[in-house]
Amino acid sequence: MSSDVILVIVVGTALAFDFTNGFHDTANVVATSISTGAAPPQVAIGLASLLNFAGAFISISVAATVANDVVDAAVITPTIVFAGLIGAIAWNLITWWVGLPSSSSHALIGGVVGSAVAAAGFDAVIAEGLVGKVLIPAVVAPLVALVVAGLSIGLVYRLVGRQRPGPVTRGFRYGQIISGGLLALAHGTNDAQKTMGVITLALVANGTLGADANPPLWVIASSAAAIALGTYSGGWRIIRTTGSRIIKMDAAQGFSAQGAGAAVILASTHFGFPLSTTHVINGGVMGAGAGKRVSAVRWGVAGNIFVAWLLTLPAAAAIGAAAYGLTRIFGTGALGPVLVSLMALALVVAAFARRSQRRAPVPAS
Amino acid sequence: MTATIVQTGDLVKTVVASLIAGVGVTAIFSVAIWGGARFADLNRGGRPLAAAAAAALGAVALVATVAAVAFGIVVMTNK
Repeated sequence: MSSDVILVIVVGTALAFDFTNGFHDTANVVATSISTGAAPPQVAIGLASLLNFAGAFISISVAATVANDVVDAAVITPTIVFAGLIGAIAWNLITWWVGLPSSSSHALIGGVVGSAVAAAGFDAVIAEGLVGKVLIPAVVAPLVALVVAGLSIGLVYRLVGRQRPGPVTRGFRYGQIISGGLLALAHGTNDAQKTMGVITLALVANGTLGADANPPLWVIASSAAAIALGTYSGGWRIIRTTGSRIIKMDAAQGFSAQGAGAAVILASTHFGFPLSTTHVINGGVMGAGAGKRVSAVRWGVAGNIFVAWLLTLPAAAAIGAAAYGLTRIFGTGALGPVLVSLMALALVVAAFARRSQRRAPVPAS
Repeated sequence: MTATIVQTGDLVKTVVASLIAGVGVTAIFSVAIWGGARFADLNRGGRPLAAAAAAALGAVALVATVAAVAFGIVVMTNK
């Protein structure tokens, strides 16, 4: 009975994380389309939500990696998964608060690894999987996106640079509807699967599913719905960072950045690499900027994002470990997860209340 | 050992596929836009044959772009 209560809390927390993931990553998916004028914000966000939902059904390779290849499922308990999720959500909220597009994916994996280490030591971590399927692709993928976007924009300017700008800009704006849609699809495919993987891990840890089981349909559908709702709710603060503070983009650059991001994420998803979609998309944006003119990229802003990238895994791991410690103060039953989730909920509500107070209009009097 | 940990084969395939798909689709779409832009200019300049050729090239490139995107999605769903 107690383990079932914990499992329900874990599933609820995982879906809440998925929602914050979509909320946090809306910027990554739609910022380029909005900043180049390819689509009005509401249309871009609505389309991105629908395609995130659809993307979640395309593949389960990444979910399998998260469930089987990062931590040893044999020593994992639902409480460990719960604490990891708390670490990830807390880090997502912190970076949302300061307006930095950090990685929800690394936050999730960092949180789960941190809580697993706190509970069962370093033996709980599958080093091969963590290094080979998470850390190395985490470094390689944004660089590939940067190179692909840089090469693409160079080619674009060679091919259409001498044409009248009007039709070219219009053409690439139409193209951005496709490239933006593909990027949203790719985002849903890779990111929703991480939540599916974590829920599957908890179901295996609870004995509800057998080892190496695939995510059940209800897990896929609920993860898809949560990320789509989160995307629709959007994170306007971060949209400004990705869309205009890194570089001021034209439509061709937006198309190149989105195309590069979508290509890298879809290819990686095919091979089961749980990427940071944030890192990849920002790599594409920087490549598209640098491909036109290196000084067009505001490297100071890019540097801040890079610092957030570096901090995410260890910070989420530390919060995940702390959340596990806090949960265990109340014993091994359901009391710990219940109390910690209530505390987390209170913090989330307080953060949103504070943020909305700051944005409240000042009365004329 | 290092190769096992880094999963070199899959990683290389990912990099190659990303390069081909990302750069390739953008290049083909640029040809489509070039065709459209040249069609308008040549047509206005009273050169209907050249305009038709540019439009045809643009249309083929546009179809190729859509086909490449569809192919990518089909490959994704087949694993």
